[in-house]
Amino acid sequence: MPRYVMVIDVERCIGCMACVIACKKENNVADGYFRTRVVEEVRGEFPYLRMELRSELCNHCEIAPCIDACPTRASHRAKDGTVQIEKKKCIGCKACILACPYDARYSTPEGVADKCTFCDHRLKEGKNPACVETCLGHSRIFGDLDDPNSEVSQLIKKYDASVRLEFAGTRPRVFYINKKFAGGL
Amino acid sequence: MIELSITGTNAITYPYLKVWDWRIVIYLFLGGLSAGMLVMCSIANLRIPKQPVEELAQCVRAPFIAFIVLAVGAQFIILDLGSPFNLYWGYLTFQPLSLMSWGTWGVPAVLLANGLYILAVIPKEQRHRLRFPFLIKISEKLAPKMRPIAKLNFAMGIFLGIYTGVLLSSFAAIPLWNNATLPILFLVSALSSGAAMIVIIAKKAEIKFLFTKIDIWLIVAELVVIALFFYGLYTSTAPYKKAIEPFFSLTDEHFIFTIALIAIFLLLPLALRIKLGELKEYEDGFHGEFTKSQIFRMNFAALLVLAGTLILRAAIVYAGQLTKLSFY
Amino acid sequence: MSITRRDFLKIAAVTGGVAAVGTPVVNSVLALGKKPVSLPQYVPTTCEMCFWRCGVIAKVIDGKVVKLDGNPLHPNSRGKLCARGHGGIGLLYDPDRLKTPLINTGGRAEGKFKKASWDEALGYVAEKMQKIKENYGAESIVLLTHGTISTYFIHLLQAFGSPNFAFPSFALCRGARDTAFEITFGEAVGNPERVDIQNSKVVVLIGSHLGENAHNSQCQEFAEAVGKGATIIVVDPRFSTAAGKAKYWLPIKPATDLALLLAWINVIINEGLYDKEYVAKYTVGFNEVASAVKEYTPEWAEKETDIPASLIIETARVMGKNKPHVLIHPGRHTSWYSDNVQRVRAVAILTALLGAYGRPGGIYLYPKKKLEPVFLSEKDYPDHQKPEIHKGNYPFAGEEGITHAIVRATLTEEPYPIKGWFTTGINIIKAMPNQKDTLKAIQKLDLLVAVDMMPYDGVVLADVVLPECTYLERHDDLFTVKERAFGISIRQPVVQPMYDTKPGWWIAKELGKRLGLEDYFPWNTFEDFLKMKCETWGIDYSELAKKGYISFPESEKPYITADNEPKFKTPSGKIELYSKELKEKGFDPVPKYTKHEQPPEGWFRLIYGRAPVHTFSRTTNNPSLWELMEENTAWVNAKVAKRMGLKNGEYIVLINQDGVKSNKVRIKITERIRPDCLYLVHGFSSTSKLLRKAYLRGADDQQLITRYDIDPIAGTVGMRVNFVKIAKEV
Repeated sequence: MPRYVMVIDVERCIGCMACVIACKKENNVADGYFRTRVVEEVRGEFPYLRMELRSELCNHCEIAPCIDACPTRASHRAKDGTVQIEKKKCIGCKACILACPYDARYSTPEGVADKCTFCDHRLKEGKNPACVETCLGHSRIFGDLDDPNSEVSQLIKKYDASVRLEFAGTRPRVFYINKKFAGGL
Repeated sequence: MIELSITGTNAITYPYLKVWDWRIVIYLFLGGLSAGMLVMCSIANLRIPKQPVEELAQCVRAPFIAFIVLAVGAQFIILDLGSPFNLYWGYLTFQPLSLMSWGTWGVPAVLLANGLYILAVIPKEQRHRLRFPFLIKISEKLAPKMRPIAKLNFAMGIFLGIYTGVLLSSFAAIPLWNNATLPILFLVSALSSGAAMIVIIAKKAEIKFLFTKIDIWLIVAELVVIALFFYGLYTSTAPYKKAIEPFFSLTDEHFIFTIALIAIFLLLPLALRIKLGELKEYEDGFHGEFTKSQIFRMNFAALLVLAGTLILRAAIVYAGQLTKLSFY
Repeated sequence: MSITRRDFLKIAAVTGGVAAVGTPVVNSVLALGKKPVSLPQYVPTTCEMCFWRCGVIAKVIDGKVVKLDGNPLHPNSRGKLCARGHGGIGLLYDPDRLKTPLINTGGRAEGKFKKASWDEALGYVAEKMQKIKENYGAESIVLLTHGTISTYFIHLLQAFGSPNFAFPSFALCRGARDTAFEITFGEAVGNPERVDIQNSKVVVLIGSHLGENAHNSQCQEFAEAVGKGATIIVVDPRFSTAAGKAKYWLPIKPATDLALLLAWINVIINEGLYDKEYVAKYTVGFNEVASAVKEYTPEWAEKETDIPASLIIETARVMGKNKPHVLIHPGRHTSWYSDNVQRVRAVAILTALLGAYGRPGGIYLYPKKKLEPVFLSEKDYPDHQKPEIHKGNYPFAGEEGITHAIVRATLTEEPYPIKGWFTTGINIIKAMPNQKDTLKAIQKLDLLVAVDMMPYDGVVLADVVLPECTYLERHDDLFTVKERAFGISIRQPVVQPMYDTKPGWWIAKELGKRLGLEDYFPWNTFEDFLKMKCETWGIDYSELAKKGYISFPESEKPYITADNEPKFKTPSGKIELYSKELKEKGFDPVPKYTKHEQPPEGWFRLIYGRAPVHTFSRTTNNPSLWELMEENTAWVNAKVAKRMGLKNGEYIVLINQDGVKSNKVRIKITERIRPDCLYLVHGFSSTSKLLRKAYLRGADDQQLITRYDIDPIAGTVGMRVNFVKIAKEV
């Protein structure tokens, strides 16, 4: 079983939002719903300001609260190690949406739960997820952490990698690398 | 100043969660009510020691009403499901870590036990109302087993009353719910509402009086547990402190939760006061029948308890979804 | 009845067995009746969601475009697409698209459209055109155009006998910077700009908000520079995304950028931080520049710009230390004030002083490849009797024409009346400032024709609307891409045109037929022309159609080397720091600083810019992009907002110095902008009811740009000279 992770180099994200829409087109996501997003956080007081552009998506946690919460095994861990939803088993109880601390999930117009799949249909063909493929800043990097030569392994080795809400104990597989700048006079 | 601008949010999770609504609130109320009723009427039926002669159950209509209440409540869950036709998948597996799975199996199990209970306590004279001969036959077979069936339903009631609390507390993402006090709170309030309902429907005066007394203890317990619930969150970490803010806010947006909290702490003690008043009248023992006004006061107090339980569940379900574990 | 243990076990076993067997059975039952999935087709083409024109590969299943991806071969996309590129699907399937030709049955600009056949519509247009030609002359019909449709309609109009056309991109956008670079280096900066960002050690952005301005490969290179630790210096009154990456954000007082540039030149010359060898070898006029900037000290500049002198000196030293790998971005939309050319001249001079022109990390040289031009037809255009009016009287006006010269000529009827306007691929209401002038001008016309894909604000004012199909449904001329290497990109239909829409070439050809101009369109379909063009150029058309892009890597010679000496097409043959050309025409040969008007107390300067998910008014109705950004917001400084008692997100109305009121717009209270400015993303608040998503959403900055400066050198406009104040929503 590979250990697919995504490493996000926050410094390189330029907020083009291509990932947000590429994902939707690749996965036929319904109008008004999103599987990934970009958060623009600006802190400080004029003219001493700092900006972070951070993309967020399902973390495919190693201890996934959504899998625990699902009564029908619609939410499950697939053979490639990613967390997936088998739509035909989903009863739309929305327990998984409440269980996820990362706002990764939503309820489709058809009444079932949905979320980022790491584009598993592309992984099978040896391609990267759509968001990674189109990322203009080369900010989203994807690969197998169990492969010591992969770009993700190199990045996590060299740099401080943090995860969202580490204290929630979910052991996410999306890592953030951050080398901050400070602006201003 | 922190400026947040997010592209790609879903309305269901941002700016706050809007996942469960009045449908779940009504189920939680009806489910708790049914649970409490099952526990309470089992207490009523079991407190008299076993008789050599065929015993007459003390509480006969309660199991029937509990069954209706739970069945109606379950409709509200089904109404909330986005894809109810897939529900059979829930019966092709059991997920011990998922309280939803416990509920999927458990609620029908409670209904089954409840059904047996109805058949077991129905008095001989009423049996013909069952219509179907096989039902009458089962009823005849079950009547002598009334006590073990009552014990079973007692356990089922406890399960039904507590499992929804455990379900809500299992979501680490919802700070208001994610604590060990919530299941206890839900159980106590379920039992209290059950006792109140028994007071209202009971025909026998002594049953009415018995459960008025029991409810007094349960109301006191409920008030204590609510206070501990808020204290526990207040003394916990940042997301948990934030989670109780709506209940103490004076701004437009969340004032309704402050009102809810005030209501709970008015209605329940008021009910308590009325009940204590009733008790005082009978300090020197209970004689026979109640007057009309006494019955009115008992029913009124019971209604206050039911209202308080409903408000409590609604407030917790809605307020819980206002505060997430994450920063925004 | 009692249940024995055996019975219980039996029941449990059966239940378990059913569950175990049931699942796969249920699975296979559910699988019945599922259709087999068709195989996807991949068709390469060229995007036109903006004017970067990236290579796109469209994924088509059963005749439906399901995904667009960047063509890895194309240097503008490099395998990636920006948000707009992905949103092409939204354009293709937008229910509000123009579907048939429309003829207005009401008065001018009333938009009382009836559906018409192509025959009817084209006949109407041809008849009107002939009438105007009879009464006023062919020159009386002008063309305002943008995008690839320009190729056909410029050709058609010139064949008809009119020389008058204008692209908005010159006077309203990048004309000044191309003029300034032509004067200094002898050639324009190019599209894509020849900026070697990925190798820059220092990137200086003057007003450029790269990142929000989502030019694909340029953003990729910018992120690369940031990732490699380049020092970013951003000069912008607003804390843009680029400023968020910057080591130095200089929140400059608007309209004082030239002061900063001159002060930088002052420091760099005084401290000897310029590339002495390069300056000696390749430039003329250094001494004149050195003496001209003597008065522009950092201390002086601090008073003008609100930027501390120490910071001006520090940033100049950073540039000097890292020369020649310094990129001072020439900008793109440079139509700010009345001294645009001089301001970009200062950028060009600074670039030359740092030796960055033709060096890694600076401005790379054009690829070395020339292909003989292939025209749409070999036939000569008729001579025009009347003088051309489309360049105004601006000595350095570009060949692309000056839009406001055409508007002025139409309004004043000087030197002769203009009676017909063709607007193709341009939204005249959103593109051109002083909308009142535009609306008055069109009342003078006998004919107003719009050719476009969507019913934009300007389109619905026309007498006749001709629906062009989208870029995904048509052929267009081959794109010669002059990035580091030279390349050719194809645009070909990915799906057949939807509804009754037609490609631009067909519309022009059919109209031409009805005007007796068939000889100017000698090819049958445009693909025939493309095949002929490829043959002339020695390119395999089928290979181009299959790959989408053909590159000529041997043409890549980006830097000055011993065997790649630059040739500057200036009068002196060198880089003209001091421009005799300008002097001869009566302008300052070295930029001189002029003060511009600042907003009075209680007013804000209206500044505008781009959003990464939109291409101004072109995409505000696109369903895929609209859901990412439905409306723009008015950025107001937090302290100012607090003083005015405004709440974040509430609706306000903007009123400009001429009393023009904007549509209601949400306020964005932010620390990210100077207190004397107010910022809007350009292109919102469509006035066309037919754009159901975009209609009256947000505020239209162009509506508030009622006055504009004109730079006399090339005729480019200055649109940042309007002041607004805030009113709570009426």
